[in-house]
Order: sequence, then structure tokens, then C-alpha cells
Amino acid sequence: MNKAVGRQHRAGRLFIYGCLLLVAVYYLVPLFVMIMTSLKPLDEIRTGSLLGLPLNPTLEAWRVAWGSACTGVSCEGLKGYFWNSVFMVVPAVVISTMIGAFNGYVLTQWRFRGSDVLFGALLLGCFIPFQVVLLPMARTLGFLGISGSVAGLVFVHVIYGVAFTTLFFRNFYVNIPRELTNAARIDGAGFWLIFFRIVLPLSPPIIVVSVIWQFTQIWNDFLFGVVYSAGNQQPITVALNNLVNTSTGVKQYNVDMAAAIIAALPTLVVYVVSGKYFVRGLTAGSVKG
Amino acid sequence: MHALKIENVYKSFGDTEVLKGINVAIEPGQFLILVGPSGCGKSTLLNIIAGLEAATSGHIYIGEREVTNLSPKDRDIAMVFQSYALYPNMSVRKNISFGLEIRKVPKAEQRETVQRVATMLQIEDLLDRKPSQLSGGQRQRVAMGRALARDPSIFLFDEPLSNLDAKLRVEMRAEMKELHQRIQSTVVYVTHDQIEAMTLGDLIAVMKDGIIQQFGPPQVIYNAPKNMFVAGFLGSPSMNFIPAVVEQTESGLGAFLEGGAGRIFIPLVHCTQALKAWVGKAVVLGIRPEQITHAPEHEGRIQIGVCRINRVELTGPDALVTTCLNKTDVIARVQPSSLCQVGETMALGFDTSMIVAFDPATEEAIV
Amino acid sequence: MPVSHSKTFFKDLASAAALERLLPKLVMAPTFVVTLVFIYGFIFWNAWLSFSSSRMLPRMDWAGFTQYVRLFSNDRWWVAAENLAIFGGLFIVLCMAIGLFLAILLDQQVRLEGAIRTVYLYPMALSFIVTGTAWKWLLNPGLGIEKLVRDLGFENFTFDWLVDPEKAIYTVVIAGVWQSSGFVMALFLAGLRGIDDTIIKAAQVDGASLPSIYWRIVIPSLRPVFFSALIILSHIAIKSFDLVMALTGGGPGYASDVPATFMYAFSFTRGQIGLGAASAMMMLAAVVAIIVPFLYSELRRGRNE
Ligand SMILES: Nc1ncnc2c1ncn2[C@@H]1O[C@H](COP(=O)(O)OP(=O)(O)OP(=O)(O)O)[C@@H](O)[C@H]1O
Ligand SMILES: [Mg+2]
Repeated sequence: MNKAVGRQHRAGRLFIYGCLLLVAVYYLVPLFVMIMTSLKPLDEIRTGSLLGLPLNPTLEAWRVAWGSACTGVSCEGLKGYFWNSVFMVVPAVVISTMIGAFNGYVLTQWRFRGSDVLFGALLLGCFIPFQVVLLPMARTLGFLGISGSVAGLVFVHVIYGVAFTTLFFRNFYVNIPRELTNAARIDGAGFWLIFFRIVLPLSPPIIVVSVIWQFTQIWNDFLFGVVYSAGNQQPITVALNNLVNTSTGVKQYNVDMAAAIIAALPTLVVYVVSGKYFVRGLTAGSVKG
Repeated sequence: MHALKIENVYKSFGDTEVLKGINVAIEPGQFLILVGPSGCGKSTLLNIIAGLEAATSGHIYIGEREVTNLSPKDRDIAMVFQSYALYPNMSVRKNISFGLEIRKVPKAEQRETVQRVATMLQIEDLLDRKPSQLSGGQRQRVAMGRALARDPSIFLFDEPLSNLDAKLRVEMRAEMKELHQRIQSTVVYVTHDQIEAMTLGDLIAVMKDGIIQQFGPPQVIYNAPKNMFVAGFLGSPSMNFIPAVVEQTESGLGAFLEGGAGRIFIPLVHCTQALKAWVGKAVVLGIRPEQITHAPEHEGRIQIGVCRINRVELTGPDALVTTCLNKTDVIARVQPSSLCQVGETMALGFDTSMIVAFDPATEEAIV
Repeated sequence: MPVSHSKTFFKDLASAAALERLLPKLVMAPTFVVTLVFIYGFIFWNAWLSFSSSRMLPRMDWAGFTQYVRLFSNDRWWVAAENLAIFGGLFIVLCMAIGLFLAILLDQQVRLEGAIRTVYLYPMALSFIVTGTAWKWLLNPGLGIEKLVRDLGFENFTFDWLVDPEKAIYTVVIAGVWQSSGFVMALFLAGLRGIDDTIIKAAQVDGASLPSIYWRIVIPSLRPVFFSALIILSHIAIKSFDLVMALTGGGPGYASDVPATFMYAFSFTRGQIGLGAASAMMMLAAVVAIIVPFLYSELRRGRNE
């Protein structure tokens, strides 16, 4: 009987590992194909197999994608747009994380009448479909004179990112006992001193979560990018989409794939380097509501 | 001059009124205990004194200045919290000197103070550790150290010992007492431990439902409680409340207690003037367990009665026996050597000099 | 306290304390204004646009329900709505099923769990544009999977959903599930890890088999996770824009349009601002119908804690 149980157990394990492996292949194949395609010359793509390794690996497609591929009217590759995204992401992430930290600090340690209502109202900002603010925001950016620019995108991302960062920091700071800040107040510290000397030193874990979340969201954004930016001010996602859908001449699949990987690289690196925090951000932002 | 004066303080959270007109004043160097059941508003009152909460109405004076509208840092106070609230990112040394640093005390003086406080509390070896590397008792000392470093006009303590285990609590209690006698500072100390209240306090304020029920020295509160709540709250096991009827006999006012084994006459020697009006009426007699003991060498106002024993509990130094008088369980504290078996009878002596009578309707003491 | 302090000194202290009490509100004020203007104000503004006769340029007049009437008599809108129903339904069901299945498998003390989890979750780090580009290539009838299978010897195999108006929306489902199911797995795995395993041990002692333990005890206790996952996935589905744009561009024709691409097309390329605003309001209504009960129960739970 023991033997039978053992065999059954082994079969079970086999099933589990089989399934997990199969699914892992499903998740990995697109990435694999992308990389392989980006390394092949065009004629090899047409004749060879989708899954085949490149016979004559070349970085030519990457060079073109970075420096000379056509994205709509201009043909200067993705490099300019890559830097646009960097210049958009960095200030937007820094500013929205800072504001989120201040808000979370007030909402937990300095609550006032109505602060909970304010938080609830803000929370809705995490959930609205952005389509409903697209048109008014387009007018507002025009009015502020920053429409079509990276600055305009930073502005939009900060405004609609603050709801998330506030949520992160609030949920983290709720666990800091009130007695701690009270002790600091008695010791003579004021609002800012308590924040910088007591609360901020406890915050690195949530800062990492917030930065990674915001970085991924803003880097990957397409909607605001395509609506609020124009010409050479577009972020990389928009440029990638233009590159892929530019229908002049021969379709260069290898360049498309190289461009897609370039666009994905920063967030992938962040994910691989700090996946733990990334997942924590995902679940913190969504489960704890 | 009062060290601290609390005048007509009210506090509401939304619709719930938590403090309902608090009036307390203490002299410099006095040790005030705020005691009461959980949720009665002790911490709230302490926070209002500290300035961490704003009172809804009323005034607070520390020394000769009114501090009602000042922020905590300007009130010249120090506070020790129940959870200690040590800054987790700072070393013990930094925890102690943080308040000094913020007040821009010169570096050399800071070092000196930290040294002095650490020596006083015997935590010199811990100065470079982080709070997470300390035991509960050590954390408690550091929290005290943080308060002592500042030399404020008032120390505020919110249940500082309640997170310690029983043995450590007794030790720290003794140290606290000694410390207070040494530095002679003014202290407001919140607890719901009545032994702490009795042993540490110069003055006790017993609170219930946001009202101070009685305010006075421990012995007065213990011996002459103003109402049944105060009487029952202090002392362990708590005071026996026995319903009885006041009667006029040849030897004066008194009441009879009916037990399983006969009637005991209890002469009422206090407040006879007030009690005259109660002849023939029901009252509640309050008598503490230690005032009922094994039959002693007949002395003074001791009344002997024979009682049937229903339960026996040994506590170590003495034994608690339960009997039934006037249909109420009554606990007596006797010497273990004089114990009898459950179900047997034994002679108990009632020290009637300390008996308090209460109005059963209002639960106020009859004075 | 030194007696020399004057009365005004204490007054100054008191006003400093008042300022300090004001400070938290001051810090929150920008967020308050931003929330009020850029969320609620803009929703209101958009609602107003949807009741105006705006076309190329926004006009602040009152046109009643004209735009809504036009919206509801627009074939393309109904295609978009139907596509959202298909996409949303399949996307949610598949993500949940795959996510739960993988989470249960991963919860069996699997070796290399960390590495496997990393593989399952990495698509979540990608932009929907990248996902769309990748799948567009894989699903490309001429050179993608179709060719791969034909090269294996199945000459008649066809897999041209990407260009088939009837099937195009299903390619969006495939890519969407690929991107998001790992995330749902992470949610469920967190839920499973949170279950008190003495309950499972007790059931084992009672003689229940592993499948029945999962079916009867574990899965029912994951109810809140199902709920959160449902909310998040439906939210992603309703907002879905990037993926459709990158994968099919809403085509062929407008066969794979969803409300988000509809709104974009009418508002920003076809100069029908009023109509676009009306479609955005409908999207908001859909989200509110799903989110509000969720938020309500969350807040109530928070209050009870
Ligand atoms: N911020 C607040 N909002 C609403 N009610 C509060 C708040 N703080 C305290 N309370 C209420 O005020 C009452 C008194 O609370 P307080 O903390 O002063 O009690 P306590 O006497 O210190 O009790 P314990 O011995 O348990 O510490 C309680 O009923 C409590 O629920
Ligand atoms: Mg308390």
C-alpha cells in the first residue's frame, strides 16, 4: 500500500512540475522569439523558423532601431524618445513619491477632521478610467502652455500618480505607532523635523515600492503619451507604436523587435533587480485598497 | 504655587464626551496617580496635559503659566509611553539626547547629560545599541532616561510598567519610587494597577467615565472611599459589600449579619450622626477582607462571629476564605495556620473600626 | 519657569502652536486642490462636454442628450461595447482560472519557486505596447505561428485571427491573458499563504483528500482575493487601450474597437469631442458600478477593524 501511495505521490509531483514547466514555456516564448528575431537579418526571418536560433547573429537591427528607424515622419530611431521617457520618468517619479510620502504622513500621524474623507475621495483617483479626464486635461495643458511637451507629461503623471503613492505611504505609515511621533513632539520636534528625523528613516522599504511602481507605470504609459505629446517630445512607447505601424517600405520585423526590447529594457531590469518590491507594490496597491 | 493645575477640562471625540469637567491641582514634587478602569479617559487627560490633544474646553496651568494653547514642546514636560516609543532608527544614546539636540543644547552638555542619566539608570553599557537589541526592561529604562535627560517641570507617565512581566514590574516600581524620592520631581502617572497607585502616589485621582470620583492621599482613599466604585476599585481582593439594615440597640447603632452559623452584631461607630436617619433602612456595609481575620486576641473593636466556610484559597502569605453573610459572599483574609476545612465553621474577628456604610441607591458613602 | 517672560512671549508661543496645527492641512492642501480640480472637476467638465454640441472645438452650450443619442445609434460604439464584453469576460475568467491554478501548483512546496514566479510575473513589467508588438509578430499570419506550424508539416493550418474581423478581438484576449495572469497568480499565492494551515491539517486528519480540501475549504476562503482580482481585472479591461492600439489598432476596420479606442478615435482624430466625452462618461459609469460597492465594503471593513 505504501508503494502505491508513493507512486501516486510521484505521479502528482510529475503532473505539478509538468504543468509549471509548460506554462513557463508559454510565458517565455514571446520573449525568446523577440530576442531571436531581433538578432536575425530580414531574409533569414522570411525563410527560417520562428523559433530557430539565428544563423548569422547581427546587431544591425538594434543599431537601426536605436539610431535610424523611422517613427512616423522622422527617421532617427528611438534614441531621442528613450531620453524623452527618461526625462519624463525621473521628475515625475521623484515628485509624486515625495508628495505621496507627505500625504501619507499627514493622513496617519496628523489626522484632522475630514482627512479620512479626503483620503477616500483621493482613492477614487486610483480607479477612474483616465478617458474621463483626457479632454479637460488637454484644454488645461494648452491653457498652461505645456501641451505637447515632456513637461506637460510630467505634470499629468504627477497629478494622477499621487493617488497611488499616497495610498502606498498611508498604508505603510498607519503601522507607525502614534506614540512614536508623540514622543518626538514632546522632545520638541515639529512637523518637518519628525518627518525627516523619525519617519523618513523608517521609510526605505515603501519608498522602493513606490518608486518602482511609479517608474513602471509612467515608463509604460501610452495613453497620456499619445494624447498629450507631439513630434520629438513623445515618450518611447508612443515612438515604438509609430515605428511598428509605420507602413512605408519593407516591414522590418527584426527592427520592430529590437525596438520593443529597447522600450521594455528599463522596466525589465528594474523588475529583475528588485522583483520582490515590484510584487509587493502590485499587491499593496491593489489588495489593501 | 501649583506645579500643575487642571481646571474644568472637558473633552469630546465627536459626540462622545470622554472627560466631563476635570479639576485637579498638585504641588511641586508631588506624585499624582491617575487610576481607573480601561477607557475611563486617563490617557486622554494625560495627552491633554502634554498638549498632544486639545481640550474641548477648560484650562491647564503648569507652574504659573497657562499652557492650554501651547504645543507640547513649549510646555516643559517629559513623557514616558506605555510602548516606550523609542526611536527605532537611533541608538540609545541618540534616543536620550534627541530632545536636547532639538533644543540646541551644546554638544558637551548633551554628552554629560547622557552620561549622568545612563549612570543613574545603569544603562551605560547599552548606549550604542539600537532599541531592537534591548529587552523589555532595558527599553523601559531608556524611555525613562529620555525623560530624565530633559529635567522638565513635570514628568508624565502613561502606564510605563504595564508591558513588563510581573517580577520586573515590582522591581521597576521600587526603582521608580526611589528615583522620585531622590530627584523630587513633579509626576503625573497613569496606571490601572492599584498596587502601583497605592505604593507610588502622594495623591490619587480615581477616575470613572471621565469624572474624578475621588482625589486625595492613598490612605484616605483606601480608608474613607467616597463611593462604592472607589471602595471596590482599590484593594485586592476588593472590599466586601454586605447589605444590612441599620438598627438602634442599647449599645448604639449597629447591624446584624446573618450567617449559616448564627448572627453577628456589627456596631457602627463612624458617622453615627448621619446614620441616625437610616435606622430601620437598608444600607450596604463595606468591609475589607483584611478586616475580617481569624479570631484574634480580643482587642478594641473586634467582634467575633462563627461562620461557615464555603471556599478556601491559599495565596501564599495568607489564605482567603469565603463565607456567606446576609446572602452575600464575603471574603476574609486569615492566617493559613488557622485554616479549617470547607464546610466547617470557624470563628472570625471583624475589625469594625474601618467599616463604611453606603447608600444602596446612590452608592455614595453615608457621612 | 523664569518670571521675566512677558505675556506676549506666551502669546507668540500660542500662535506658533496654532501655526503648527495648521501645517498638516497646509501640506495636504495641494493634494486636496488637485483632487478637487483634476479628478472631480474634470469629471464634471467632461460631463458638461458630453451634454454640449462640441465637435472639433469644445463648445460650452447645452445640447441635452444629443451626444448620447448619437452614441447609442452609432454602430461602432456597439461593436466596441460588445468587444469589451467579450474581451472583459474572457480576460477575467481566463486570468482567474490560470492564476488560481498556477498559485495552487506553486503552493505545493515546489523547488525553484522563486525562479518560476519570476518567469510568470515578468510580463507584468512590460508595457502593453511592447506586449502588443510582440504578439503582433507571433500572430502574424505570414511569418508567425501559422508559418511555424505549417513548416512542421501541417500545410493547411491557418491561424489568421489577427486579420479576421470576427476573431481579431480574441487575439487581444490571448495577449492580455499572457500579460496579466501571472499577476493574478501572485495575488492568489499571497492569499493561499495567508490561510492558516492548521485548518488544512485538521481536514487531512479528518480524512479529506487534497483536491477536496482545496475545493471545499481553501478556495472558499479565498473569496476576498477573488473579489480583489475581479475588481482589478475588470478595471484593466475597461481601461484597455494600449494593447488594442498596439496589437490591432482597433482593426481590421473597427472590428476590434473597444470603448477606450472608440473614445480616443472620436475625441482626438475625428473631431467629435462631444461624442467622445459621452463615451468616456459611459466608461466611468461602468467603472463606478463595479468599484463603488468594493470601496464601500473596504471602508466598512476598515472601520470595523
Ligand atoms: N482619537 C479618539 N477618537 C475617538 N475616541 C477616542 C479617541 N481616543 C480615545 N477615545 C475614547 O475615549 C475613551 C477614553 O480613552 P483613553 O485612552 O483615555 O482611556 P484610558 O483610560 O487611557 O484606557 P486604558 O486604561 O485602556 O489605556 C475611550 O472610550 C476611547 O474609546
Ligand atoms: Mg490609556
